[in-house]
Amino acid sequence: MSNSQQIFEAWLAGKITASECEQQLDQTSEWYSRFQTAQMIQRQAKAPFFAPVPEIDTMSMFAQQWQRPAKTSSWWPKLSVAFSVMALVVSLSPLELQMQDSGLTLSWRGGQQMQQQQLETLLAGYRKEQQDYIQTQLQGTQQQQASQLILLKDYLTEQQTKERRTDMLELVEYLNQQRQSDWHYWQENYQPSQARLDTSAVYNPDQQRSGVRKP
Amino acid sequence: MFKRSDESLIEKAIGGDAKAWQQLVSRYQAPLYYFGLRLLGSPDDARDLLQDVLMVLCRNLAQYRGDSSFKSWLFGIANYRAMDMLRKRKATTEFTDDHDFYDDEAPSFEQQLYGQHTQRLVQQQLRSLPPEQRLVVELRFYQQFTFDEIADQLALSSNTIKSRFYAALDKLRTQLELTDVEQSANF
Repeated sequence: MSNSQQIFEAWLAGKITASECEQQLDQTSEWYSRFQTAQMIQRQAKAPFFAPVPEIDTMSMFAQQWQRPAKTSSWWPKLSVAFSVMALVVSLSPLELQMQDSGLTLSWRGGQQMQQQQLETLLAGYRKEQQDYIQTQLQGTQQQQASQLILLKDYLTEQQTKERRTDMLELVEYLNQQRQSDWHYWQENYQPSQARLDTSAVYNPDQQRSGVRKP
Repeated sequence: MFKRSDESLIEKAIGGDAKAWQQLVSRYQAPLYYFGLRLLGSPDDARDLLQDVLMVLCRNLAQYRGDSSFKSWLFGIANYRAMDMLRKRKATTEFTDDHDFYDDEAPSFEQQLYGQHTQRLVQQQLRSLPPEQRLVVELRFYQQFTFDEIADQLALSSNTIKSRFYAALDKLRTQLELTDVEQSANF
């Protein structure tokens, strides 16, 4: 393949422009002529063609070859199959069709049982919660009572001690009062008599011999 | 708007979808007709070719395997049918100006004046080529197929196609030069 042919074919394939091809083929008259002729035909090929296209009945060809007559089928069998499938689904699934209070109810089978279970679980939880609360309250009360008893015992013990001390003081005071009164009584009733006795007997300056002292 | 691929239209048409078939036909009807018109030179022959190709296409729709593009496969059928028609027809049945397949209701007057004249001239020169060369020029310039695609369609080597193509260009060049000389002499 010559170089000119390659250039010409590159232009035909759209790889180079017409002006580039023209420049490169300028030296070779044979290829340049071919290029000019090709360019002219190409221009004509791109021009619109206005001849009317005849109508050909292609639909009858197609209908004869490819189209099949439409199947005329009754809808009863389809309906029957549809109802059968629906009945099968209803019977196999946990769906339940019930007639209650003049009405139809479509529900899931085992719904009440599930609700009962849920209710029981909730009640058990509530019960446990209440028991825990009561237990806590009881323990608190017991502790409070115990501490109050201790306080009461301490109080009573303290009061008892106080009372005992007061009693003793009163007793001591009473005894002191008794001794005082005894002393006064002795002083008033016996001392003068004794003194008279002593003076009447022997004068003794040491009065301490008698063993009686003024309180 | 979304354009369905040829392959999906074929698939639907095989399944009995008439709309898909209609869409496929409308996509290639005009290119096939103009191909026939340029190659055979007669609107009646082009119509026959179009009908023939569409019938073959309809029958063999399921035969398309997608090895090449659908357009290439379709034009493979069209090439074979067109060459068959050309062989059957007398070699002397040349296109004359009586077979004017250009629509007079073109959009613009200038287009008609310049375009039709040049197109007629080129078409006349193309029709003077041997059918094999004419076919290669048609497929390369008007249908935009590559040399390899044309070689596949015609079951020939790429070099054979190229040699036919260059021979056609040389012949056209000579004829156009001669025409220019004749027109200058007449003027």
